[in-house]
Amino acid sequence: MRPVWLIAKSVLIEAVRRREVYVIILLSLIVIGGVMSVNFFGMEGLTKFYRDVALEVMSIATALMVVVLSCRQLPREFENRTIYPLLAKPVGRVSFLLGKLLGVLFAAGFCFFLFMLIFLIGTWYLGGKIPWIHLAEYVYLQMLAMTIITTLGFLLSLIMNLDAAITIGIIFYLTANILTTGISYIYDFAGSVGKVILIIMNYGIPQLTLFDFSEKTVHAVIWRPLGIVTLCYLTLYAMVYIGVYFSLSMLLFRRREL
Amino acid sequence: MTDTAPVISVHDLVVDYGRGKKKVRALDGISFKVMPGECVGFIGANGAGKTTTIKVLMGFIFPLKGDVQVFGEQAGTVASRRRIGYLPEVALYYPFMKARELLEIYGGLSGLSKDKLKEDIPPLLEKVGLAGKSEILLKNYSKGMQQRLGIAQAIIADPEALIFDELSTGLDPIGRFDLRSVLLNLKKRGRTIFFSSHELTEVEALCDRVIIIHKGRIVTEATVGELKKPLNLFEVIFSLPEGVVLPTSVAQYKLVEEGNQQRIEFNNVEEYSRAVSALASAGAVIHRTFSKTRTLEEYFIGLVEGIEGVGDK
Repeated sequence: MRPVWLIAKSVLIEAVRRREVYVIILLSLIVIGGVMSVNFFGMEGLTKFYRDVALEVMSIATALMVVVLSCRQLPREFENRTIYPLLAKPVGRVSFLLGKLLGVLFAAGFCFFLFMLIFLIGTWYLGGKIPWIHLAEYVYLQMLAMTIITTLGFLLSLIMNLDAAITIGIIFYLTANILTTGISYIYDFAGSVGKVILIIMNYGIPQLTLFDFSEKTVHAVIWRPLGIVTLCYLTLYAMVYIGVYFSLSMLLFRRREL
Repeated sequence: MTDTAPVISVHDLVVDYGRGKKKVRALDGISFKVMPGECVGFIGANGAGKTTTIKVLMGFIFPLKGDVQVFGEQAGTVASRRRIGYLPEVALYYPFMKARELLEIYGGLSGLSKDKLKEDIPPLLEKVGLAGKSEILLKNYSKGMQQRLGIAQAIIADPEALIFDELSTGLDPIGRFDLRSVLLNLKKRGRTIFFSSHELTEVEALCDRVIIIHKGRIVTEATVGELKKPLNLFEVIFSLPEGVVLPTSVAQYKLVEEGNQQRIEFNNVEEYSRAVSALASAGAVIHRTFSKTRTLEEYFIGLVEGIEGVGDK
């Protein structure tokens, strides 16, 4: 387990020291700050609007960072040859990839942590009540979504070049968020071939909207937190995609010549 | 595994790059062994197959055919890498990390505890000439400093065997000297060293044995002494005063007349010594004795030219 942790640590150090994370957060902060200055909803409306925008920005910004970070991990190692001294140590390629996965998740966690600070300070400033359980569930579900995106990022970066991997990763994220919601609307209107395609898309693309608990966190007064069973199902659902993407990545990486 | 078992054993190794018509044979059935405590230099021109061989030893590429073992384990396995320190030909290290952090990670991956690393890293950095540079981000390191750091990461766990690909790439003369001291020290401590290098003077200074590879095939494998022995050149320049006859033991050698002096060349130190003694005893005037040992570089160039047919022209 120590090699996994050490490799994760190297990813985290890089993510924390690179400026781009802070640039993303700063830009997000500008958007969130802008929202706070709009006061035509009344104080209660503003608090909800603020939460809504802040959580949405948080999800999108973290997902974009995760797409870039995960797609970049392996190609950068190959390109800069930093992988040689690492894999010359008694570290298996599975541990290496697991370490990279954990590292990207730590970085996503770090991003969430910074966003959460902003979110909590903003909510406190607006005098709103903080729905702690909803918030914890929101972060947990988002981390599951980030794990799916990370493993997909690894897979993409092993089958195409870095730029293509990032582009496809972003398209995938948007598709998984938007298209999968749309599938249920257009399914009834599709022909038989179209229905088959939609079914394949429905199962082939993970429905990341399932992991978006932001709406319920915003309207925490109306919605109760998710039950443990639902959380377990969602975890299982995520694990299937994580398992498939990670296994495929591992298959490609194991026999990859360096 | 006993002490006499080889540290590195390569048998009939074949490696191809590319597929179909673009397929290139990088290694064509090479075999060699490196025994414990040996320092072996792996010499070859660019594209000869040195890095490919080392990459197979480390498990970075996979052979088409052949058996490659390190410490009795299949090359490339985690177990085989447990006792090796490796320095790649060119490697950059994470630019956003400090030398101390990097060595903590590499040391940790080699199984060293946090306390041990805390204790070992400062003297290690000093040993490779990076004392006081542990807290500088690696993006600010020069190429030479990165190479020194590479050496530090390779020896951090005091491995039993070291595999270095292009030993002194990027190092200035001082860096090379420092590296040589580090390696000589490791050699003295009985560590096995296997390295490829273009710097034949370095190979000559450090190695017990040399393996020469050319176009994916091993063309020579011998000790440095053995390689240089047949190439030793000894010369005596003398003149014979009136009444002095050339001794019969010397007359068998080819004499070259140079004005009123004569010159004989020998390839063997014993024959040379006997001839000089015989000439002196006979009363010949010895003007100059000369011994020249050809460098490994000269041997290597001669060998490659011979294979390529340059020497025949």
